[in-house]
Amino acid sequence: MTVQAVADGSIEIIGVTCCFGSRVALRDLTLTLSERRIGIIGRNGSGKTTLARLVAGLIAPDAGTLHVGGVDVHADRKAAIRKVGILFQNPDHQIIFPTVEEELAFGLRQLGQTKSDARKGAHAMLARFGRENWHDRSVDSLSQGQRHLVCLMAVLAMQPSVILLDEPFSGLDIPTTRALRGYLDSLPAMLVHVTHDPTAISGYDRAIWLDDGRVAGDGPVAEVLERYLAAMEGAGDADADL
Amino acid sequence: MLTLTSDIRTPYHGLRAGVKLAALCGATVGLFWLQSVAAMAGGVAAVTALYLVPGPRFLRDGLRQLKPLWVFVALVIAWHAVMLDAMAGVTIALRLVAAVALANLVTMTTRFDDLIDVVMWLLTPLRRLGLNTVPLGFAIVLVVRFIPVLMDKASKLFDAWRARSARRVGWQVALPITLGAIDDAEHVAEALRARGGLIASQEA
Repeated sequence: MTVQAVADGSIEIIGVTCCFGSRVALRDLTLTLSERRIGIIGRNGSGKTTLARLVAGLIAPDAGTLHVGGVDVHADRKAAIRKVGILFQNPDHQIIFPTVEEELAFGLRQLGQTKSDARKGAHAMLARFGRENWHDRSVDSLSQGQRHLVCLMAVLAMQPSVILLDEPFSGLDIPTTRALRGYLDSLPAMLVHVTHDPTAISGYDRAIWLDDGRVAGDGPVAEVLERYLAAMEGAGDADADL
Repeated sequence: MLTLTSDIRTPYHGLRAGVKLAALCGATVGLFWLQSVAAMAGGVAAVTALYLVPGPRFLRDGLRQLKPLWVFVALVIAWHAVMLDAMAGVTIALRLVAAVALANLVTMTTRFDDLIDVVMWLLTPLRRLGLNTVPLGFAIVLVVRFIPVLMDKASKLFDAWRARSARRVGWQVALPITLGAIDDAEHVAEALRARGGLIASQEA
């Protein structure tokens, strides 16, 4: 396991604590993630999103270390963007550029490609999803689901070995969710899927249940979900996050 | 997300960004040379013709982009009418419309990464002085990019106010709009960081 752990994509989290002011979001978390499909499940405020942002290198841990494929993703951004991509919950928080092609090409230029190579790469990615005619579309004119797909294509174009998904299906209708899910399932990259919805991670290799910044359950999906759902049923209205 | 970029393909899309910006500079200076109402009306007609080349739908889009301008046009004319010089007011108002419409035309038909390249080229002297111009060039373009987004956010806050109040929207929304802008800035910063930030971007 340890030998494989340094392999291309695996995520090594050792003793990570993360605080926001006086609130502790993650407490002394130690995990090694190397399965192809991993679900991170938990209630609102359990630390799931913080974990995703840490693994993406967007924030630094207050204590402990975190490496993806041997790279310190917060300190070494140049190497990190080749290792990890993140799909945000809200596409409007992810899209920087006004047209689809520019949005896709941006990441490729960040990887050091020339402008024309980046444009070619963007077109190739659009072609892969049968959306060639989107290249000069303004992002504004796309629906919510279409913008999600733009974000996914922008992440995929950079070919990261790990892709983090933060509630990627929230706000999407059933057919759009099914289509997006189909795309995600077919990807060769390692997926770490953060969600509060147990059905979203069915068929995954491993589930990790976070509660109050700690691991409350870790193992095969069916087993972890059963305990998670039992705990959620048991939680009275007084425990609701309102 | 709201943008100024037009979905309608125009012949202007094919022109180089630098050429368009230079022409815009020249035309705007030209507009300040024209003094009579008749000449100015001719200027506005010429700009309208430019908008009509891609078709009437494009002209309609262009007119919609000018909506925030009408208040200023009315103000300028009203002020000059009070000063008993309505003709000068009309000239200034026409000049304002023509200049803003031309600037919008460039924004609507130019890709943002091309604009960034022009800005980066213009900043070359500063780079020679040893300054890192990448963040500066990017910042200039982001301002243009996010003005419509902020206006959209503001109008949503106005709606939220009106949904629960019969009174007119008050100054109290100024702070939420500001905080919303900071929030947006943080989201963009994060989106940039997730894809490598400003490192290594735009090799000359």
